[in-house]
Amino acid sequence: MAVIQDRAVFWYGCNMTRHGELVRATAAMLEAVGIEAAPAGGPAHCCGSPKDASARIAEGMARRTVQAFNASGREAVVTWCPSCHMNMQDSMAPVTPTNFETLHVTEALWARRDRLAPLLVRPVTARVLLHAHHGFQGRVPVNDLVPGLLRLVPGLAVLDHPYRAPGHMCSALAGVPGALEDAQRATLDAAAATGADTLVTIFHSCHREAVTLERPGLPVRNWIHLLAESMGIPAEDEYKAWRNAADPRATIGEARIEAAGDVAFARLVEPELRKPPVL
Amino acid sequence: MTLAEHIRGESARLAALCTACGGCVRACPMTPYAAGVAEAGAEAVAAGMRDVLRDGPGTPAALAWIGACTRSGICTPACPEGLPAAFMLRLAQWRAKGALGEAPRIPVKEDAQLSARVKAFARLTLTEEEQARWL
Repeated sequence: MAVIQDRAVFWYGCNMTRHGELVRATAAMLEAVGIEAAPAGGPAHCCGSPKDASARIAEGMARRTVQAFNASGREAVVTWCPSCHMNMQDSMAPVTPTNFETLHVTEALWARRDRLAPLLVRPVTARVLLHAHHGFQGRVPVNDLVPGLLRLVPGLAVLDHPYRAPGHMCSALAGVPGALEDAQRATLDAAAATGADTLVTIFHSCHREAVTLERPGLPVRNWIHLLAESMGIPAEDEYKAWRNAADPRATIGEARIEAAGDVAFARLVEPELRKPPVL
Repeated sequence: MTLAEHIRGESARLAALCTACGGCVRACPMTPYAAGVAEAGAEAVAAGMRDVLRDGPGTPAALAWIGACTRSGICTPACPEGLPAAFMLRLAQWRAKGALGEAPRIPVKEDAQLSARVKAFARLTLTEEEQARWL
């Protein structure tokens, strides 16, 4: 495991902008354990994978990102997204030399768990099942690190089940007909088999898909939400509330939508929030 | 080095080491979603994937398998030669999508609105100051 530096970029990726509270809370957690991590993400910090069909375009996007991280002078880039992490290792750093080490946020927090544990003071009473995938575990053992971190939270029981969804994130499965539906059914079966009262996601794209699985007796939360609750860091899951609302526009409120841009909301955000659940 | 050179170089290097034994195909949890893989057999599908890495056309079953790859990664420890099979699939997927300038041989699902959507959500969930500093 990498040596953890005190100054880093927190590279949260692209699609995490749906979950501003996760970006904010994760940065606060990293800072609380002594890693001053500047969040960076969105289109200006793209790994290039959205343009997989053109090596020339993907390379340009990725090169710009690596150069920005190099110019930051920070010794480490702490990743959130497994796609970004793997792309940094597989195609970004080999093409554009880096002057930083790359590590995943789970590795960073686990390496500083001696500083994290005393901050987890508020009990979170829950029996949680982790929604885990096969993918990425071979690079970073997230299916071990996240339960390890959650077991530091007083009152939290992490249940074991052997099911692992294919792929590295649910967004990948969503592109293969039938695959996400199968994975969601298996996840609910695993939750029922273990008696879990909370389903916990690791990655943002899984969370985006899994929030529609929430039902009485089975809330869906991200692992950062649970750590944040125990630390007293505010992290309200607004995306879940919007996605599960009968009328997301009313839930968000017209004033907020107007401030964000009504046309963009109607064209880019609202269709996703109103999309029928997979199950 | 360019990304295209990296893809070509790694494709050639790894294809030369691959024996097309089919271990990666047999380990893959996505084969039920890839048409024709079961009928073609693991060795033939692996050979088709290797052919794509060698600038060849591949086979319909191999292309279906490449297209169904969601980066589960369990093909890598399944490779008896110790090759990074998941990375080979990534290389094959780039090539089959036409990353090197050829016509795509598998569906390319690009979200043309991705950047705009990311920013639209950011305007809802991040403060103006956070957007200015973090995007």
